Amino acid sequence: MKRIKRFTPTQRVFHLVLMLSFFVQSATGLARMYGETHWGHFLASFFGGYSGVLNVHKLVGIFMLAAFFVHVFYVFIKIDWRGFPKSVYGPDSLLPRWEDVGQVLQHLGWILGLKEAPRFDRWAYWEKFDYWAVFWGICILGGTGLILSKPVVSSLYMPGWVLNVLLWIHRIEAILAMGHVFIIHFFIGHLRRHNFPMDLVMFEGSVDLEKVSHERPAWVERLEKQGTLAGNLVKSEPVAFRVTYYVFGYAMIIGCVYLLVNGIVNVSGLLE
Amino acid sequence: MISKQFPFLGFMRYLIGLVIVLVVSACIFSEAALAQKEVTSNIYRYRERKMSPGYYEGYEVKPRSNLPFVEVPTSRQELIALSPIAERVRRRKYLADAHQGLRFYNRLTCIKCHPGQARSLHNVRAKITCRQCHGPEPIAGIHHYYSSMNPRRRYAQICAKCHEGASASFAKYVVHEPSPALMSTLKAFPLLFYVFWAMVAIAVGTFAAFLPHAFMWGVRELLPDTFRWNLRKFRSKGRKKNETD
Repeated sequence: MKRIKRFTPTQRVFHLVLMLSFFVQSATGLARMYGETHWGHFLASFFGGYSGVLNVHKLVGIFMLAAFFVHVFYVFIKIDWRGFPKSVYGPDSLLPRWEDVGQVLQHLGWILGLKEAPRFDRWAYWEKFDYWAVFWGICILGGTGLILSKPVVSSLYMPGWVLNVLLWIHRIEAILAMGHVFIIHFFIGHLRRHNFPMDLVMFEGSVDLEKVSHERPAWVERLEKQGTLAGNLVKSEPVAFRVTYYVFGYAMIIGCVYLLVNGIVNVSGLLE
Repeated sequence: MISKQFPFLGFMRYLIGLVIVLVVSACIFSEAALAQKEVTSNIYRYRERKMSPGYYEGYEVKPRSNLPFVEVPTSRQELIALSPIAERVRRRKYLADAHQGLRFYNRLTCIKCHPGQARSLHNVRAKITCRQCHGPEPIAGIHHYYSSMNPRRRYAQICAKCHEGASASFAKYVVHEPSPALMSTLKAFPLLFYVFWAMVAIAVGTFAAFLPHAFMWGVRELLPDTFRWNLRKFRSKGRKKNETD
């Protein structure tokens, strides 16, 4: 079975770091937010109680921000500066292009049974959205979180009531991020028919050529035209690795869905 | 060979190493940190030094039984040009005993009259009781000149007990924050109201766009890939129907 390389090991490590840190931040954030409920107490008990959970949240938040800056640095060194700015508007770039708008409309048309499926290139519009959503999320959550983590110092530069406002921004943005990842990202990434039972591309780094030719024909054709397709073909990972990816991936999904379901079920506890 | 193939392998190693060091150090130092916390944590220390006696209903909440002989504010109501409610609320903020003259005061609890105030993060999360900030009886109004809750000295005498180094700016944090969703907050704390609803609009807008999109996409993938509504057939059927009508 031929497989085409889609992500480099560095990119996979970035995703892994983001995935793990986001999960810890979600668990600790919810434990803090639901601190008045039994579920919140239970969740916090894994992190050393109510104070411990805040310490972990702050530490992992700083780690996440550091990883974000490392990623930005990585992006800057990966840019082909000789071909700039053309290089960042090419089909291999994650920057949004005008074509994406047309593809959104065509994809919606295909979903409604009115048009043919769009011929996606390497990155589809929902992937670009997910990528830039992380930038937006980390800037909002990281920025507000950093200010809130040291309220005494922060209030030297702003009135204390700004902290009230920032806490609500932090909360609602976190709910938005968790809702988007736990419902929409998981569904599109793993649960729709094309990817079911799980899209391992972010763990393996490669995807089945037949599958990718079906969903992203423009990418495969482009590589064929450039004569680089053969150079991008890789072997499948050993079965043991694939099993590990499935187990780990599903453990993460189950953990996140557990947080989502309990977050919804225990909302009444917050409003009492 | 491998490092040539993957130029970022060295960086990856560094990243993985960093994660391992963080995890290991967190495991090693967590016990010591917990023990140390009892001594260094501001909240722990405050609880020890200014501990609630535990008899919340009997001692903490119910005020003293003997009121000092002071003039009852309601007797001067006619002299002040305030509405009856503003009279009751605002003037009390300046009294040495904010609850002076209230009927059956010794049978009341703080949250009986101030239910919303008990919902603050200080109370709910840090379990700080009303008295620990507002002081013992007689509870002075927060604007009374000698009150420790007066904004002039609140940061030093109250906030700094837990938040070391608290400034006057820090003391502007709204402890008894109004619910940001309520219309009344538009007047009390307009920025909080607008920011809250703007963030809710962003969140709801995102879900309103992407949830139906994901759901319909999921359903569409259950149909054959080549499936398309035959619109021409629909149109011709419609025309025929119109002609026969």
